[in-house]
Amino acid sequence: MTVSINDYKAIVIGGSAGSFSVVSKMLAKIKPDFKLPIIICMHRLKHVRSGLVDSLNIKSNIPVVEPFDKDKIEPGKVYIAPSNYHLFIEFDNTFSLSTEGVHNHSRPAIDYTLSSAATSFRGKLIGIILTGANKDGAQGMKQIHTKNGYTIVQDPKTCDIVTMPKATLDLFTPKAIMSPDEITNFLNNLE
Amino acid sequence: MEKLNFKTYLEELKKYSRYNFCGYSENSIYRRLEKVLTDKRISLEELLDITKKDQKFVDNLVDEITVNTTDLFRDPDTWVYLYNHLYKKLISKDTINVWHAGCSTGQEVYSSLILFNELGVLDKVNVIATDLNSKVLKAAQNGEYSYKINKLYSKSYKDLFDRINPDGNDFSHYFDVDIDNDLIKVKDFLRKVPKYKRHDLVEEDIPFYQKFDVIFCRNVMIYFDGDLQLNVVRKFFDKMNGGASLILGSHESLHGFFKTRFTKKGLVYTKTNTFHYKYK
Repeated sequence: MTVSINDYKAIVIGGSAGSFSVVSKMLAKIKPDFKLPIIICMHRLKHVRSGLVDSLNIKSNIPVVEPFDKDKIEPGKVYIAPSNYHLFIEFDNTFSLSTEGVHNHSRPAIDYTLSSAATSFRGKLIGIILTGANKDGAQGMKQIHTKNGYTIVQDPKTCDIVTMPKATLDLFTPKAIMSPDEITNFLNNLE
Repeated sequence: MEKLNFKTYLEELKKYSRYNFCGYSENSIYRRLEKVLTDKRISLEELLDITKKDQKFVDNLVDEITVNTTDLFRDPDTWVYLYNHLYKKLISKDTINVWHAGCSTGQEVYSSLILFNELGVLDKVNVIATDLNSKVLKAAQNGEYSYKINKLYSKSYKDLFDRINPDGNDFSHYFDVDIDNDLIKVKDFLRKVPKYKRHDLVEEDIPFYQKFDVIFCRNVMIYFDGDLQLNVVRKFFDKMNGGASLILGSHESLHGFFKTRFTKKGLVYTKTNTFHYKYK
């Protein structure tokens, strides 16, 4: 089955422990004219509030920003959930933020970003879950799967910590299990 | 009535109670409603039924679907900025009018008052703090916080003071700590300053005569959709002195028309002094 980029409106990526270097490498290899917005929700250490976007921007081929509330989701941008806020995707293709309580000990919570993206984009969404030491994100991935989005789980063999991908694999069988390089190639080869 | 869904439910809620959530960001308010249904194991039809009959239930429901997160000196960078670049400029005024819109349990109100007191102008500030939720408003008024949950307050306090005024007052100047009773309590000289009032930014006009020099509305409008945000900012704008400041959350910004009526410096939106005359 060929996967056409025109069938999709956005990519969402969730990751926790170990995912920073994976995301960083992926963004360094993604082609500069990649036309879908990439929305990333990563757990981060509480004391590391700033610097994440800067360090990703040094390597990334696509500009990386932390969205503000109600910002429009635009192609050709990478969005990272800001520290201490949950990041949601609304029906009108904008972001909304929330400071409600932690979910799975996390704010931002990957489940929230992924499942709100699934609600808004339905089948026109590619969801990717990366390495992590927490089950947050598994339910969100399942939502994407249920709404017929395309789901990719990082191959546990290539994960620093397998809890997050494993929790996802326990819930359903994704469309693909891939190494970080394979994920980047998959995205770059979408036509 | 149309088929019952979250949207039509919120319209019904508006009819049967004083609460209007119709202009809230859809995806997030629907999700919080869904959580209520799951937690209570009821259907949306049942929820509507109870909503129509039981006002107390509705008040509790509102507690659950609204968000009340706040902290002492939350986002320290913001407070460093306010202290150095805003409050130090305000102290020459005869009175300083401050409004905390959506004050939740009051930590932000006391954070701000502490900084005014450090600058020696506590007697000049006129502080109003409002919230939709009368329960959190009461907590704010009491100025009592759980020690267990908030024991890091003295650390946030010290960290901030190391940055703005290392010779300032200690934490104990403003708070009594009673570990046995699990309490951190704001001292009365501070606690008695703000006037607390229940107020609904969405449904009500602004009930104050005075215009404000500073309006805090942090992480409140993130729950509103774009149109509702515009409405609320318009109300703020009309109640601000020229050059007054609007303080939003660290990842909030102004959109649409009002973007042009404010200039943003650092973390503060300042009402521009340009006058626009309108002839009728």
